[in-house]
Amino acid sequence: MNDFLRQFLIESRELVIEATEGLLLLEKSPRDPERLDTVFRAFHTLKGGAGIVEFPVMEQALHSVESLLTEARAGKRTLNPALVGECLTSLDQVSQWLDILEHTGELPVSLNGPANAGLVSPDVAAASHDTSAAPAAHAAQDWAAQLLGRNPSATGAVTTAFRFTPDHDCFYQGEDPIALTTSLPQLLALEIQPESPWPAADKFNPYVCNIILTGLAGISAGEVSAHLRSLTGECEVRAVGTAEAPAAISMPEIVRKVLQEQLRVLQVKEAPGAAARIASAGRTAANAMRFCGMDAHAESLERAVQQSSAQLQEAIAQLLGMPSVALARAATPRKETSVRTLRINAEQIDALVRLTGELTIAKNAVGHTAKLAQANSDSTAGLLKDQHSVLNRLVAQLQNTVIGMRVLPLRSVFQRFPRVLREMSANLGKPIELKVEGEDTEADKTIVEMLFEPLLHIVRNAIDHGVEDADQRRARGKPAVASILLRATRDGDQVLIEVTDDGAGIDVQRVRQVALDRGMASAEDLDAMADSDVIDLVFAPGFSTAAHVTEISGRGVGLDAVRAAVERVGGRVSIASRSGAGTTVSFSLPFSVMMTQVMTVEAGGQVFGIPLDAVVETVSVTKEAFSSVGEARVIVHRNRTIPIVELEGVLNASAEKSRRAETDATVILASIAGELVGLQVDHPGERMEIILKPLDGLLSGTPGIAGTTVLGDGRVLLVLDIIGMLQ
Amino acid sequence: MTVLSAVNGVIVLEGACPSEDAEILLQHLTSTPSARVDISICESAHTAVIQVLLAFKPRLIGTPPGNSLWRWVHPAVQASVSI
Repeated sequence: MNDFLRQFLIESRELVIEATEGLLLLEKSPRDPERLDTVFRAFHTLKGGAGIVEFPVMEQALHSVESLLTEARAGKRTLNPALVGECLTSLDQVSQWLDILEHTGELPVSLNGPANAGLVSPDVAAASHDTSAAPAAHAAQDWAAQLLGRNPSATGAVTTAFRFTPDHDCFYQGEDPIALTTSLPQLLALEIQPESPWPAADKFNPYVCNIILTGLAGISAGEVSAHLRSLTGECEVRAVGTAEAPAAISMPEIVRKVLQEQLRVLQVKEAPGAAARIASAGRTAANAMRFCGMDAHAESLERAVQQSSAQLQEAIAQLLGMPSVALARAATPRKETSVRTLRINAEQIDALVRLTGELTIAKNAVGHTAKLAQANSDSTAGLLKDQHSVLNRLVAQLQNTVIGMRVLPLRSVFQRFPRVLREMSANLGKPIELKVEGEDTEADKTIVEMLFEPLLHIVRNAIDHGVEDADQRRARGKPAVASILLRATRDGDQVLIEVTDDGAGIDVQRVRQVALDRGMASAEDLDAMADSDVIDLVFAPGFSTAAHVTEISGRGVGLDAVRAAVERVGGRVSIASRSGAGTTVSFSLPFSVMMTQVMTVEAGGQVFGIPLDAVVETVSVTKEAFSSVGEARVIVHRNRTIPIVELEGVLNASAEKSRRAETDATVILASIAGELVGLQVDHPGERMEIILKPLDGLLSGTPGIAGTTVLGDGRVLLVLDIIGMLQ
Repeated sequence: MTVLSAVNGVIVLEGACPSEDAEILLQHLTSTPSARVDISICESAHTAVIQVLLAFKPRLIGTPPGNSLWRWVHPAVQASVSI
């Protein structure tokens, strides 16, 4: 892929996200001019990009959406959900093309599906005509609408809008257009603009008239025309409805539909056969009026046909009771926040991370050397120690900066949910509102990227099983629209993410029953378990309470997959639920996967690292405390029976085994899938922060080993994956 | 003569400025682009003269007479200054 295409790919992806986000917000507030502008710009830039890389199909597909948005911006169309859906579909298509481009490095040649995928279907476009949006305006009326929009104070008194373009040589006829226009009685607004951009000073000819006068007046169109009659030039005078729309004439629905259709036909611009189309539309509209006995209106329509398409549109709009000119909304200035950023390849950042890791090891080696020098009473020991502390500080700063570079806001995950929810909500017919909090919370790229699937799983479950349908909700006195809250917060070196729904909550008794049916625990055990522990069983492998397998969730992948994914990156998942009030699933994830806190332990004469996030506590156990249950050894700690595993035995680190049971020992308690397991070791060591290097080459995928790092004295520290080792 | 030359960088329009004044005003504004235009004693101006003001966007000084012409032209010229 050449640089050009690569840039196009990156930018297009960003624009697709921006447009998607904007469209979803527009669905809620379709008249938000700022949002409309943003979406329009995104589509426009996407289209421009497609043009630059010579991708005509994409350009064409986006062009139709762009024109639609142009009409929406001009107030001629309202973006209803169907239309937003069409726009989103076109973005999906663009995403697919971009996927192909990313995959093959080339622009897609043979396109799947219809070439015009993404083009807005005419049905939807027609259906989108929303009479409440005052869309009777047509291209010719834009200037009038804009003028009214700019002069809101004049709106009440305005009856006529005019636009006059004097002939270029009008001054030689002795005309003075501005003087005559400003003398119009009841002139409410007048704007003087150049017809074409002003030429440079040396080419400026003051006697070529180059202005357009647009204005609003409180007198009738006829009076305005009469006043300006003496001037030569192009004059458009239009009767403008006042703020209130003219009363609609009552007519059968079918006639109304016919008229609306004619209006739509007339709004097609500059196509061949325009004259024939206008005549035919006028005839059809007039016949429709005759059909319901309104001959007078039919005649006025026929007269309008003789004049112009604009006149005819005006006449039809009046019959339909639409305000003749759409008022342009005053746009509030948009606040642009620009952030100085630089695009850097993620691989380069990862290389920097690796280098920082090496540097940390070198720094630790210096520390080790300093200790040795001190032990040998070397005179340079003090100097070495000072240098080590300087190095320590600098490496720590470097680490923080590098970690910061790998950090992404959770927005990049959260922003995918409005779209997903919209579809799920529509598929299941459950109205749902998504609330997002703390999307600026940051976390390591790896964490942010892995988060989507587990979160999606939880959200799907919440919508499918948690949220009741609207009728049930009403019956229970809840708002019909369910709410799902995605919230992220930073807590020290952890990032907490919660998915909360206000649905029915988890039926604890049902969970007990299912667990019993599946043989996951005995009836006595289940009865003895606290409700919160029972609820936690939903994360156990093979547990699924869905009575029906649906499109949305329940396709055999249980919540255990979620827990596994989160634990793989060193996080935890928990669930809390109140019957009838809803469920909250909480993810607790490390802020960075780059730095790992480990504690070193000695077993069989070797040093191993154990990630601290797996360690619940470390206890000293006397030899009397060990007891045997069958073949297993257990201890009783805080009234819980905890099975003990000898680390040395598991790792085959030493041949001598049974001796250990007879001495006092240190046991590290780890939580594995909610169960406590004790790991017996010789000695606990120190606690340290390391950059974990995953095993690669032949050793990659070795079970039970999370990775390695190099200790200060040059020894390799194997960091254990306790969960993988003991499961 | 209704266009008085640029003394101290100020061009004064006086009375009713006919279309011929457009050429004179143009010359003044071309030779002194930073000139300001005093319209306080200008009762009316021909479209050709106003067109020069619109194109060169000089800073207008003085309170324009309260007639209907300047009511509309003054904001148009001033608006074009800021563009």
